[in-house]
Amino acid sequence: MTLKADMRILVVDDMATMRKIIKNMLTQIGFTNIQEADDGSTAWKKMEDAIASGAPYEFIVSDWNMPQLSGLDFLKKIRSVESLKNLPFLMITAEAEQGNVVIAVKAGVSNFIVKPFSAQVLKEKIDKIFNK
Amino acid sequence: MSNNFIEFSKPFIDAAKNVFETMVFTKLEPQKPFIKKDNVSRGDVSAVLGMSGVLKTGDKGPVEFKAMFVLSWPYETYFKVASAMLMATYTTYCEEISDAGGEICNMVTGNAKRDLAVMGYSSNMSIPSMIEGAGHTIKYPPGTKIIVIPITSAHGPMFMELCYKEE
Repeated sequence: MTLKADMRILVVDDMATMRKIIKNMLTQIGFTNIQEADDGSTAWKKMEDAIASGAPYEFIVSDWNMPQLSGLDFLKKIRSVESLKNLPFLMITAEAEQGNVVIAVKAGVSNFIVKPFSAQVLKEKIDKIFNK
Repeated sequence: MSNNFIEFSKPFIDAAKNVFETMVFTKLEPQKPFIKKDNVSRGDVSAVLGMSGVLKTGDKGPVEFKAMFVLSWPYETYFKVASAMLMATYTTYCEEISDAGGEICNMVTGNAKRDLAVMGYSSNMSIPSMIEGAGHTIKYPPGTKIIVIPITSAHGPMFMELCYKEE
């Protein structure tokens, strides 16, 4: 997998503040094509629309704790679709317990980041995902 | 104040320092704590998050606990904190910064929860809520003791509150 500045990225978080922080960090890193969704179910709809339009998302950055459809359920939904089994998915959570990491890994997460984090840490996680 | 309350509060102070250094780019200087006797916020904007769970220690059986974590800011401090966090300038309270305090509260509690788990506390967190307005009041769980930890920072003063009760 290669990293492109115009890679289509979807940032999913129910808190507008966190979406803005992540978007700012991704912009700082050099990405230019970033869209947002405020929950897993909104994100799923956006993904379906993007696939239908022929320009699917290439990287998902999602919070864990969200109403309607949590980040974990959103990830499971994505991994249940054959064509999305390898879609890079970075999970973000405020809850730093080890058990969460294990659950996310079992569900097929590409990498995992615990809040608080800096743009540098986000970049390192992205590099790890795309340089596997 | 019980030893468990003092032990319970330490991870929140460490987590708040970490969150503010990483996301708000400022160092916190906690001051001497005091017990709060009323329910009036010391700030104009408060983020509130409830916790409940079980404390398991080696020498006695599991004890249920309830807790609440509150961060309160005077308006001027809140605007500076939100501006630093969101890399923009805010001088009035608006929709765009209305959940910044809640996100900070969420991150602090999430981090504290990990350290509390090591100490024997297994806990569940509620979704943070925000209260805004000069002189607003905070509804604490009945029967809990409240400690206030005043904090100074380059962005101005703020107040951390913790209440804790074993059942």
